Parts: sequence; C-alpha cells; structure tokens
Amino acid sequence: MTDRRRINGPPSGTRPAVFASSLKSASGDATERPRRHRQPNELRKIFLKTGLIPSASGSAYLEYEPSASLAAARSSPQSLIPPSSALKLACTVHGPKPLPRSATFSPNLVLTTHVKYAPFAARQRKGHIRDASERDLGVHLETALRGVIVAERWPKSGLEITITILEAEDDRWWGDAPDSHDAPWGMMNVLAGCITAASAAIADARIDCLDLVAGGVAAIVSDDAVAEEGSSSTPKLMLDTDPAEHKSILSACVVAYMPARDEITEIWLKGDHSKASLGVDDSSLGHEALIDGAINAARGAHTVLVEAVLESAERYAGLSSSDS
Amino acid sequence: MSTQRQATSASQTPHISPAELSYLYTSLSLPQNPIRPDGRSATQFRPLTAETDLLPGTNGSARVGFADGTQAIVGVKAEVERTVVGAAASYTLAEAEGAGDLDGEGGEGSGSAAGAGAATAGHGSWVQMSIEIPGFRDDDALPVFLAEMMREPLVESVSSGGKGGNGREEGEMGGGLKGRLVINRRWHWRLYIDVLLLSQPLSYPLPLLSLTTHLALLATKLPKLKSKGEEDPFFDDDWNAAEYLYPRASSFPKFGGGTATGGVPPPVQHVRPPVTLLVIAVGDNVIFDPNREEIAVADTVLAISVTRDGGAEGGLKLLSIRTIDPPSRLTQPGVPNSENVATLGATAGAAGSEEQQSAAVLNPVTGEEEVPGVWRPRRGGVKRRTVAKMVKLVLEKGGVGEEVLEGLESVEVG
Repeated sequence: MTDRRRINGPPSGTRPAVFASSLKSASGDATERPRRHRQPNELRKIFLKTGLIPSASGSAYLEYEPSASLAAARSSPQSLIPPSSALKLACTVHGPKPLPRSATFSPNLVLTTHVKYAPFAARQRKGHIRDASERDLGVHLETALRGVIVAERWPKSGLEITITILEAEDDRWWGDAPDSHDAPWGMMNVLAGCITAASAAIADARIDCLDLVAGGVAAIVSDDAVAEEGSSSTPKLMLDTDPAEHKSILSACVVAYMPARDEITEIWLKGDHSKASLGVDDSSLGHEALIDGAINAARGAHTVLVEAVLESAERYAGLSSSDS
Repeated sequence: MSTQRQATSASQTPHISPAELSYLYTSLSLPQNPIRPDGRSATQFRPLTAETDLLPGTNGSARVGFADGTQAIVGVKAEVERTVVGAAASYTLAEAEGAGDLDGEGGEGSGSAAGAGAATAGHGSWVQMSIEIPGFRDDDALPVFLAEMMREPLVESVSSGGKGGNGREEGEMGGGLKGRLVINRRWHWRLYIDVLLLSQPLSYPLPLLSLTTHLALLATKLPKLKSKGEEDPFFDDDWNAAEYLYPRASSFPKFGGGTATGGVPPPVQHVRPPVTLLVIAVGDNVIFDPNREEIAVADTVLAISVTRDGGAEGGLKLLSIRTIDPPSRLTQPGVPNSENVATLGATAGAAGSEEQQSAAVLNPVTGEEEVPGVWRPRRGGVKRRTVAKMVKLVLEKGGVGEEVLEGLESVEVG
C-alpha cells in the first residue's frame, strides 16, 4: 500500500554514501566500534519529564544518556556518521474520553496504542504509514499497559496512547555488515523506553493504575571488545545493552515489571542462548537469568519513574509553582 | 466493529457470561488436575487432521484442520534473488581479500569463513510471512502481531561454530533458517510464507497457524543446485532431485508405510523449523492448546517458540517468549449478591450461612479479594515462578515440546 497523498522520499537508499577513506580515521586505523564503558549491571542515565504537551491529558518525554563514544563524537567529530544513537521519545495520553456512538458497549476502558517512528528517527528512513514493526511495538505496549490500568473504573470510554520516537536505538553498529546480526535488537530498547514513558504519561493523566510499570532490557552478549585479541570471550549477561556496542547479541529480553506486586505484565524474549548456557552452568545464563536481569533493569528505571511522577503530582497540586 | 478491531491479542472479546467464566475458572484452577470443558488433560492437544504437498504450484504446502472446524492452509514459495551487499561490507570484504590480515570488521560470518566459499550469514528480510484471517484487514494488529511472532523464531540467527561452504551439507546447517537460504555470496533464496486461515478465528489461531507453517516448511523442497561456488546459480530441472529445505531423517522411509511411531528413532536429530505453542496459566495450573472458552479465563497467556537443535543430544531450545494479552481482562465482571440491588432483599432475608458464603476471600494467586463464584476480570501481571514453570513444562525432556515435534515428524511428507 503506497501513500499517494504525500510526496515521499525514495523508498530506500537515503543513507549517505560511505566512502572507504572515511572508514579510516586520520591516524590510519579503521573506525572502531563504540565500546561499552559501563559496568554490566549499570544502566544508562534516563531523562524523564512529564507534562510537556499541554493539550494532552498526560504526556511524558524520555531520553537516554548518549553513550560515551557518542558524546565524544559530538564534541569532536571524526566522521559524518555518529557512532551510535540514544533513544528519545515523546508519549501523549488522550482521555479517558467517551467512545464514539458507533462503538459497541465496553464495560472497561478501551486502550489504543500507537507507536510511530519519526521518518528521521533511524538511520534507515521510515515511511509515514506505520509498518509491521511499529504495529508490533504497539501491541506489545498495549499488553504491557492493559494489565496495569484499572480498566473497569471507566466503562464506555477510550484512552489513546501515542508515542513518537524521535531518535531510535541502532539495531547494530553501522559499520557492521548488514548480515552480521540483523535482528532488530534496537526495537527491544525502544519498547522498554516506551513502557516507562507511557507509564509516566498515564500517571500524569491521573488514571488509576495498580502500580507504576517500568520497562527494562537485558541481553546475553557473546563477544565484545575482547574478540579482537582472538580469544573468544564467554557470553555475559548485560543490562540495558546498546546494540551498537556489541558485536553479537545472542538473545535479549524486555519485561514490563511492577515492583510493588512483583509481577510482569509483558515479556518479550527472543534469541537463542542455548550455546551460551552449555558451556557455563545452566542457571547463570538461562532464560530465567535473562528475565531476572531485565527485571533488575526495570527496577532501575522505576526509580527514575517515581521521581518523574512525583514531580507531576507536585505540579498538579500546585506545589512547585513557587519554585518556578 | 471497532472493539473487535482493537481487541488485538485477545482475538475477540469473549461473549461468555460472568457466571460461566467463573465456573470455567474454578474448574480449570482445581489443584493438580484441571477439568477442561472438552475432557482433555492439561497437556493434551486437540485432535487434528493434517496433509502436506497439496498445492502443486508451491515449493511446499500443508493443511491442518482442528476438530472444531478451524482450518488453515500454508503455501511456501521460493525465489532466487541477488544479494545486495552494503557499502561497508563490500569494503571490508575487499579489504580482507587484499590485505588478508584484517578480518575483524566483516562480522563473524563472512570474516571467519575465509576462502572461496565465504558464505554470508543470511538476512532476516529474506523470509516474508503474510497472514490472512477472515474478518481482519491485512494491516490490523492481530495478523501483524501473529506474523511477527511466527517469523521471529524462524529467522533467529544462530551462529553455529564451524560453518563454511555454502551451508548445504547436513552437519553444517545452523539452526536458523536464513543461513540455509544462502546460495553463494551473490545469490540467495527468498522465501514467501503465505498463511491462510480458511475458517473464522474461533479460538486464538496461533497454534493452528504455527503447526501448519511447521508442516509446510518440513515439506518444502528447493531445486538441486548444479552450479558451484560463486557461479551464477544453475539448477537441476528434475523436480525429483530437489532437496528438502529441512533434511528428513535418513532412516525414515520416504514413501513407506505409516508405522513411523513404532520404528527405530533416527540416530541424529535434525534441525527442525520452530513451533510456537500457546500456553495458559489458570490459577496454579498450566494448560496447553487452550480452546476459546479456556483462553477467556486465563490469567496469563504465553506464546513459547521452541525448536530442535541439530546434534546428537537433540535437546529442545527456546527461541522466543511473548506474552499475549489475556482476553480475561476485557470481560464483564459479575456482581456479588451482597452488592446486587435485585437480590439485596433476598439475601438479607436468607439465613446467615448464605451471607458467609458470599464473604470475600483472598485469592492466593492473584492476591485480590474475591467472592467465590463471582467473576472478576483479571488484573496485573504474572509472577516469575509461573513463567518459569510454563517454560519448563515446554522444554523439559519428554515434555510437551518434544511430543509436539515428534507428532509433526510422523506426518507423511513427500
């Protein structure tokens, strides 16, 4: 289905040309993959602010801290191509509002989620019409949120959650061959960000929830920087992985987690880590460890979420008006 | 209509009364042995009929029908396509050939498999899947979600240790499908998997579609390659010489009788296409292949994809887990007698024993107060131990996953 109403860019190939000379820096060595400077269990810093969009009943803006290599590249650019990207997204909540007359009766709040990448969000341009991956993200987000919202308090009403992704995570390092690992690992980080931001926006819209749900990502990565010395490093469990920093991600997991109830409303685990768990003892790198890791990442995001929601509540109560 | 559209994962909002839901939930959550509406055990699947190779115009096809009348047809078609190599990758390839010492950048697949037969590792976009469900547009959330859910484990990248050549020989096949689609560095196969649900989606169609896709992929044959190495591909035009995409067990009689179950098990377990199982948890029970009524009261719905690894041990491995939004969250709550205006006078006049019965008790699973016999829509999520239990039941030796794969293996192919 093509979009006939707008003038679209070419369907593919809008990436800038990569010249062989640009792959080498001035010193002569090839451009290097960004390295992870964080500890395996250290998360990126999260910026989360609510109430930035006044026309919506609730809104939130989320941004991840740029990785060290990205920050360095911004201050002293070596190449036109940024080494990695950092997630930025905005979430708006409209509602609860009455359902249209034509809709069938619903005893519960009807939740609709839209996730849309801005055309410029990723290295590959996205079209204006939502593609399969964006719809897929929307369904994941809906699953994560529906378990949290106390839906029977708003019969016959609808709630629309719209997320615009301004800058997406990379699926892999741009210098890698497109076939080295092409699974959309960046989507999982995006989903975790979407869950956290949507949770803040729903709280900002003052809709009753069971708990603040937070998203977290963990991944089993097999070889990072060590691989260049020829020794195949053992697979490791890392929290909040930036796919650009890792050569090969074996499997990854996103959860939406409610700390107060110790419950998961959404799991999305994919990848094959059977090779990883064969060498080491089974429990340390199995799927359960992966889920637990993602939960720990979600706990980290939850602390940021609590601060943001507190700020939103203070603004609502008019407490912070004296500060500004 | 709009509620049906937006009820994505739930397939459809169940039209079952709160009293029925409560009855179903109670019988399914009985400790140790749930009582299912159709009398199956917790791990038993619905009876099904299956046939393969029914569409002559495809490379592989299958039809599966469940006893409740739902049917699905899957056709797999393959095309030869030229591989587009990215700028950075072609640069590193040229660099690797020229200097010969720099093979760090090209990725583990192309870099390490040095020599003439350097195979690329394949690309996920080479497998296209489309799902057609009557009553849904092709861009509705349910078909898109189902297609992604089934495509994801299929193209899962598995970097097996020592691979090389063009990946055609049995032992060297990685678990993932996409590595198998590589012909040489410049050419590959593109697979189109078209799934057609012939009936209305009475229950959540995932198990049916997944089983049918699995069978169609087992039956898929690709023409035998005659050219070698980096030549432009040239195929044997004898269709009988075509090779299975997933090699069949050698000891298995190709056109023999149907006594496959009693036969000698094949010595080497072959790589098999993934199969996605729908698992629900009701109370403390874990139930497989739920029908429409059972899924309507589920606390948790998980789609778990498993496959069989190549290799002697033949264990199952987990490829993906996804939660599916349980439809029980969308149901209508029942009203306990104590709150019901119509029965308020009756309960007040009745004996005190009835009042005790309708007192709220704490459900140990959901941690919420519930009046027994009165349905409450589910809230909240799933505990970690429940997920672990569900996955364990699928993966364990002699568990449901193995049973399903063996059952599918015994379907006559060819």
